[in-house]
Amino acid sequence: MIRLEQITKRYGDTLAVDQLSLEINEGEVCVLIGPSGCGKTTTLRMINRLIEPTAGQIFINGQDTSRIKVEKLRLSMGYAIQSVGLFPHMTVGENISVVPHLLHWEKDRIAARVIELLKLVGLKAEEYTGKYPGQLSGGEAQRIGVARALAVDPPILLMDEPFGAVDPLTRQRLQSQLVRIQQEIKKTIIMVTHDLDEAIRMADRIAIMESGRLVQYDTPEAILSAPINRFVRNFIGADRALKRISRISIQKYIRPAEFININTSPNQVMAEAKKYRWLWVIDDNRQLIGWVDRDSLPGAASIEEVMNREEAGEISLMDNATLRDALSQMLGLGFKYIPVIDDANQIIGELALEDIEEAMAGEEG
Amino acid sequence: MFGRQMIRWIILLAATGIFLAVIANPVWWETAMRFFFPEETIVIHPRASLLVLVGEHIQLVAISSGITIIVGIPLGIWVTRPSGQDFLPIVTDITSFGQTFPPVAVLALAVPALGFGLVPTVVALFLYGLLPVVRNTIAGLRAVPESLLDIAYGLGMSRWQTLFRVELPLSVQVILAGVRISVIINIGTAMIGSVIGAGGLGSPIIAGMALTNTALIMEGAIPAAVLAILTDQFLSNIESSFTYTPGKV
Repeated sequence: MIRLEQITKRYGDTLAVDQLSLEINEGEVCVLIGPSGCGKTTTLRMINRLIEPTAGQIFINGQDTSRIKVEKLRLSMGYAIQSVGLFPHMTVGENISVVPHLLHWEKDRIAARVIELLKLVGLKAEEYTGKYPGQLSGGEAQRIGVARALAVDPPILLMDEPFGAVDPLTRQRLQSQLVRIQQEIKKTIIMVTHDLDEAIRMADRIAIMESGRLVQYDTPEAILSAPINRFVRNFIGADRALKRISRISIQKYIRPAEFININTSPNQVMAEAKKYRWLWVIDDNRQLIGWVDRDSLPGAASIEEVMNREEAGEISLMDNATLRDALSQMLGLGFKYIPVIDDANQIIGELALEDIEEAMAGEEG
Repeated sequence: MFGRQMIRWIILLAATGIFLAVIANPVWWETAMRFFFPEETIVIHPRASLLVLVGEHIQLVAISSGITIIVGIPLGIWVTRPSGQDFLPIVTDITSFGQTFPPVAVLALAVPALGFGLVPTVVALFLYGLLPVVRNTIAGLRAVPESLLDIAYGLGMSRWQTLFRVELPLSVQVILAGVRISVIINIGTAMIGSVIGAGGLGSPIIAGMALTNTALIMEGAIPAAVLAILTDQFLSNIESSFTYTPGKV
């Protein structure tokens, strides 16, 4: 656990950080966010003492960091920054093994660790180990930066806008990758960003800062549903309802769907499925293959004849989607209901627009 | 890449071999000089053989450049550290002054204190060659991006580790370029050593000027020029062996 107690940093007459107290639980992702100059980066850099606080103390597992030798303190934390900071004169392998070298690991152990880390960030070891940073794309370089920060498996990871320098698409991919890695490695991560979507996607807790002060520190859900003051409300924006449902999985809202086998006779369908006008059509493997309008069934010889065939992926949601994905898909298709499928394209239920509306209304109150 | 580097070394080695063969065979040199300057009675410096003169010259340059490097690089490193930062302006001023001050004047001032011969010449050459080394060391170290220093310290490197693993490897080319300039300047400037009896390739030139004998002047000038070219190639080969695949930082 990391505890910041009444941390103040003063540069001449300006207060960069003003009596900030913060507790970060073990294994949690804490995102520091706020407008430029709010002191978020200064706060981060005080944790590994790249900046020494003017006043206040920082404790890691109860130990005062100012009493730990500074190199030892930093070696116990991973560090990744916006400009990636890969050393251009070292290969990818050498970059990743900087900290293991500093800790005098054995050669074989370092080599094995490099391979392991490259695999973790999704890069082929044999292809990348010998490359120089100049030969990497921005996204690859960022991933190497993260791998280097994780090299000696430190319990704490400090990241200063780790995905700041890549295009939005790559950034999103890297974010979800880090979320996935985090589920595996369970580090205490403190991350600075100015991108609210990134914070919402990654954070267990968000610390919103304004001119050196901590304004609100809570889970993304809580901050989005109950911003503490006008500053936070403005900061998170008018679309906070949408942002909030991007944190909510559809799992809880999946309801049983009505679907029919393509080989059923239209008459039987007319008799049995009376509730809805539109019905999902599946094949013998329970795979979603399209939908049918109930009104078109009378007089049809088979379902096949009147159904609309669709690619399963285009008219449905995967079961790991969020409510925001669901809403956007429904608006795009013009559907009020949307089927939910699993990895094998088998239908497991459906989602209704009214449930999403309810979820959004619920958090507004 | 490897192939091209090898070829450059082989060419340099061959050229050096030819140069040594020529200066080691006074007969060849004398024959050539007699062909170009048939009217001169003396075409070879009488005091010492060409090989000895080149040897003296190399010795002068090696000693003075050696001291320049040993003093200049650490000086440049020191004034870019927090402990020496306050001295940065003074050091740059003094080294600039050392280069603007003519070596001949240094000699004139040094002779009363240090006598004739090698020592005052080395002092003059040392002062004269210091600027490029110090300046390039400072420039090279300063060009290392702040973000890399940040990450080096942030990952847990000490100041020394950062210097040797990050800063010097990244600035080595710039520093070596400064060394190269300094050494080349020294090869030319070392000529003046012979004015106060330090020997070297300046001797035949001074004798040639006294006797208005072009052959003797050539005996000093041509080997000195070749020596400068060979040294330049040698040092730039070393320099380029430090390249890494360049790219964004």
